[in-house]
Amino acid sequence: MLAAYMFVSVLLFAIGATGAMIRRNFLIVLMSLELMINGAGMALIVMSYYIGNVSGQVMFLFVAAVAASETAVGLAIVAMMYKNKKSVDINDFTTLRK
Amino acid sequence: MSVEIVVFAILAIFAVGGGFGIIVTKNPFRAAMWMVLSFIGSAGIFVMLDAVFIAMLQLIVYAGAITVMVVIAMYTMDRLTIASLKRFNNQAYFGALFGLGILLDFIVIASKLKINTVYMGKNLSIAGSNVKAIGDVLFKSYLLPFEITAIVLLIALFGAVALTKKDL
Repeated sequence: MLAAYMFVSVLLFAIGATGAMIRRNFLIVLMSLELMINGAGMALIVMSYYIGNVSGQVMFLFVAAVAASETAVGLAIVAMMYKNKKSVDINDFTTLRK
Repeated sequence: MSVEIVVFAILAIFAVGGGFGIIVTKNPFRAAMWMVLSFIGSAGIFVMLDAVFIAMLQLIVYAGAITVMVVIAMYTMDRLTIASLKRFNNQAYFGALFGLGILLDFIVIASKLKINTVYMGKNLSIAGSNVKAIGDVLFKSYLLPFEITAIVLLIALFGAVALTKKDL
């Protein structure tokens, strides 16, 4: 049963990583990042259950706080980019490359 | 035991299928709805693992607050601008291959995991309360990281406000 729980967590992480690499919409890239964080957090919870120590759940609390602040800053960046360029396509965000 | 496996299968299909829906759907609003489905499935799996407080946190923070923030950010943008994008990158095949590599890599690592399960499901609650156990560990062992988390949240909100000012 441990392998099944870990498989779900790994699958969430891999799907999120794939989405962050292949999509063009910045909003969906942010959602994929949330999915990766959620997969990593699920691994913490699974290990917390099987080892019998509640510290993993405390770690998930910190992970959730960092994920919330990451979303706030990411959405601010999206809003600023949309205001400057009228687009949310990540292929248009190349101002640092020139 | 078999009931546990059936419930786990349904919740795993919710979580993984919702995640798959995020990366294949074209409309970002529908992607947000798939994200809610995925987070609800994850919260159910957390309940199965005796992490009741964390499941509630997942529903409130992820499925509630973060989804509302993403959807409101979407509402401030032009619908045709964000809906008429091409779906995938030009090098999407390479990205998908890389993601498959990550998946196989972690599956190998997770299948070699051997842990001692004599404490399985124990020590997760004090007097029947999961919240009490988490608070006990949080405020006795992790007090400084807790305070730092508060500062991180505050600075992130300041940064979000400063980023969207009129002239940067």
